[in-house]
Amino acid sequence: MEKHILIGGEAGKGIAKTTLLISEVFTNAGYYVFNYREYQSLIKGGFNFNVLKISDKPVYSHDNSYDVIFALNQDIINRQEKDLKEEGFIIGDKNLKGKNMIGIDVQALLEKIGASAKLGNDILIGALAKIIGLPVEPVVKVVKGAFKKKIELLEESIIEGYNCVEKKMELDKPDGEPKYFITGNEAISMGAIVSGIDMYIAYPITPATPVLHILASKQEEHDFMVVQPENEIAVACSALGASYAGATTMIGTSGAGFSLMAEALSLQGISEVPLVVYLSQRTGPASGVPTYNSQGDLKFAVNVGHGEFIRVVVAPGDAKECFYRTIEAFHLASKYRVLVMILGDKHVGESNYSFDDFEEPKIKPTRCITEPCEDYKSYLITENGVSPRSVPGQGAVARATSYEHNEYGYTTEKSEEVIKMNDKRLKKLDDLKEEIMSLVPVNLHGQGKKLIVGWGSTKGAIVDALKDLPDFRFLQVSYISPFPAEEVKREIENSDEVILIENNATGLLGDIIAEQTGKIINKKVLKYDGRPFTSEEIVEKVKEAIK
Amino acid sequence: MKVEDLNTGEKTTWCPGCTDFGILTSVKQAITNLVNDEKVKRENVVGVSGVGCFDKIYDYLNINFFHALHGRSLPTMFGIKLGNPELKVIGFGGDGSTYAEGMAHVVHSCRYNEDTTFLVFDNQMFSLTTGQATPVSEKGLVTPSTPLGVHEKPINPLALTLTCGASFVSRGFALDIPNLTKLIEAAVMHKGFSFVEVLQPCISYHNTTQFIREHIYKLENHNTGNYEEAMKKALEWDYCQNENSKIPAGIFYETNKPIYEDQWPHIKKWHTVKRNPDFRKILSEFKK
Repeated sequence: MEKHILIGGEAGKGIAKTTLLISEVFTNAGYYVFNYREYQSLIKGGFNFNVLKISDKPVYSHDNSYDVIFALNQDIINRQEKDLKEEGFIIGDKNLKGKNMIGIDVQALLEKIGASAKLGNDILIGALAKIIGLPVEPVVKVVKGAFKKKIELLEESIIEGYNCVEKKMELDKPDGEPKYFITGNEAISMGAIVSGIDMYIAYPITPATPVLHILASKQEEHDFMVVQPENEIAVACSALGASYAGATTMIGTSGAGFSLMAEALSLQGISEVPLVVYLSQRTGPASGVPTYNSQGDLKFAVNVGHGEFIRVVVAPGDAKECFYRTIEAFHLASKYRVLVMILGDKHVGESNYSFDDFEEPKIKPTRCITEPCEDYKSYLITENGVSPRSVPGQGAVARATSYEHNEYGYTTEKSEEVIKMNDKRLKKLDDLKEEIMSLVPVNLHGQGKKLIVGWGSTKGAIVDALKDLPDFRFLQVSYISPFPAEEVKREIENSDEVILIENNATGLLGDIIAEQTGKIINKKVLKYDGRPFTSEEIVEKVKEAIK
Repeated sequence: MKVEDLNTGEKTTWCPGCTDFGILTSVKQAITNLVNDEKVKRENVVGVSGVGCFDKIYDYLNINFFHALHGRSLPTMFGIKLGNPELKVIGFGGDGSTYAEGMAHVVHSCRYNEDTTFLVFDNQMFSLTTGQATPVSEKGLVTPSTPLGVHEKPINPLALTLTCGASFVSRGFALDIPNLTKLIEAAVMHKGFSFVEVLQPCISYHNTTQFIREHIYKLENHNTGNYEEAMKKALEWDYCQNENSKIPAGIFYETNKPIYEDQWPHIKKWHTVKRNPDFRKILSEFKK
């Protein structure tokens, strides 16, 4: 069973809230729900919408064919009714016009019970529940539970809406176990807290801002700080300062801000001050289409900053992976004193995913800060390249520097010292690569002989599409740098056919695969209109590509 | 502790006779005095520099030190205080890096008023890059990058920092080591953002030694708590070399205002915090 509901209207009319309430009713009852959000770069007006896919089996993506359109204005109907299924319905106020319209006289119902216009959406929520086949009690419970204060006539409004329409659909019974319902941004925030974050520093930018808001709201409860300095350059530089002083630090941004941070990220490379960066991609270049999705910054992340140094890039494919990959990012940054980037995007960051459970993370937070020994050297050359890290205030002099340096951290221009320090830093790759191999850098989904290769947020639509593409299996590359070349090469060589799927215009992972493995993937399914793939699109485009 | 304890043994690469040596001497003396007077703990002193001639001080001071990016001393200093508010942060900048590349940070550090000290080595010149004009170079100055002469009037860093809310604004002279030492000590002891402009003639590209010696005077009978008076004094010299220029030196302004760190109820020395997060509890709000 699958049901698709589109909830849309002007920004500022409660679309997000309505979506979350309906989702909660379903996830509480044990259904799996995926929620895709689409909105414009404006505060009020426009045509925002959310698409809910509800199923009794796990779902990781949305589709563009709706059983119900829940419309809060005419504009959303005009734009979306072409995608309403034959047997679907549009629910909205009686003044709206559309195909299979169930118009509700919201005003009259409110007047009947003496409720204010604010409760109009709740009348419609009641009606939606009835039409789609939900009982009324859990809806009342969830909506009431969403408000701290008791709201007069709230329950009556929902019931009034529920009773004014007829049931139109049947829902299969789910397993009954409530599900986790979480966005990628929420999961990254929680992953950071579980990692023992001390300091989150960020400048507002869509689509990374939710992490700034979420963590800011949690800082007192979990005892860490969230700071918003004057610009992204200050964000990255102050983060290095805080980390040097001993704080476990993360920063977050999107492409435009990441560009400004590039020089400081290069400073991370030579100073070896641990740093975790969350990069949430949106449609570029420059301001591009700022509230829409893209996987266009892959090669920028892998190459950010001048000079040669280790850049770890991990790209989670859903909210659950966001949680665990964030924990890995903190661990690797701290243990190897390297730059680790969590490469997400608007789609994985802002979509809600549902899961049965979260397993206990294997990695526990460790600071990797040592009490300094006598004759402490900040850049001691060790066998694996990792120098024991002391921080200021512990007695020994702790140095960090943007210049090439000797083991004490003093500036050097001497040929042999320049070589030694480069070698020391790059030596860390050996252990790092080995550890990343234990963190499952690639994942295989499905059994087919033909291969789909992709990364990041396309995972959901590809995995959901596999049931209609039985000849295919999906190789999800999660660690992009250092690149798991052998694993990727082997899968490509063992496949009758290989198709690259990316949410960008040129196939950036394909370039990296060619560079790292010598394998060129010629068949590409690319999408770059700012919208993520749906599973229907994947099925159609993949079939087209192998014709 | 002796002044020599702050030596590193690294070879100095400033030009022979560079006035930066005067600043280095003053900084070492000031830190030694503060440590010996038990006003600061040596292990808590952290230097921060950006990139320019001044930055070489990183190699000549045996203290904790973060040698950061060109023009980015201030945000790095700010971050260090966030990471551990117990540290005594002394930052260094040049007039080129500070007022060109990193100007936005000047405005905000004054506004944040975090408890740090910032010394700007002001020679009105980009010297390490072989002598180009900075935002503090005098109008008309001809350099290889400005053969037609600088078109603009120099900015006035003292008036700027006063306007932006700095709680300690001062000027010293690299060749007046005793007074500069006292000034640095006062700046470090001031609670809040302390701005110290150090006039530092560049003997290779912009040698104003003679001019400054002739026109500088020590601020006396000056009310450092009076903002209007401070601004008047700040505007007394326009950073150009006029016959009748008068260059006041000393503390222009000093006031007590809330510092950045004190406004965070939970700021602390983070690396000593022990954590044992309960992942299931942390995720519980996502399963209703």
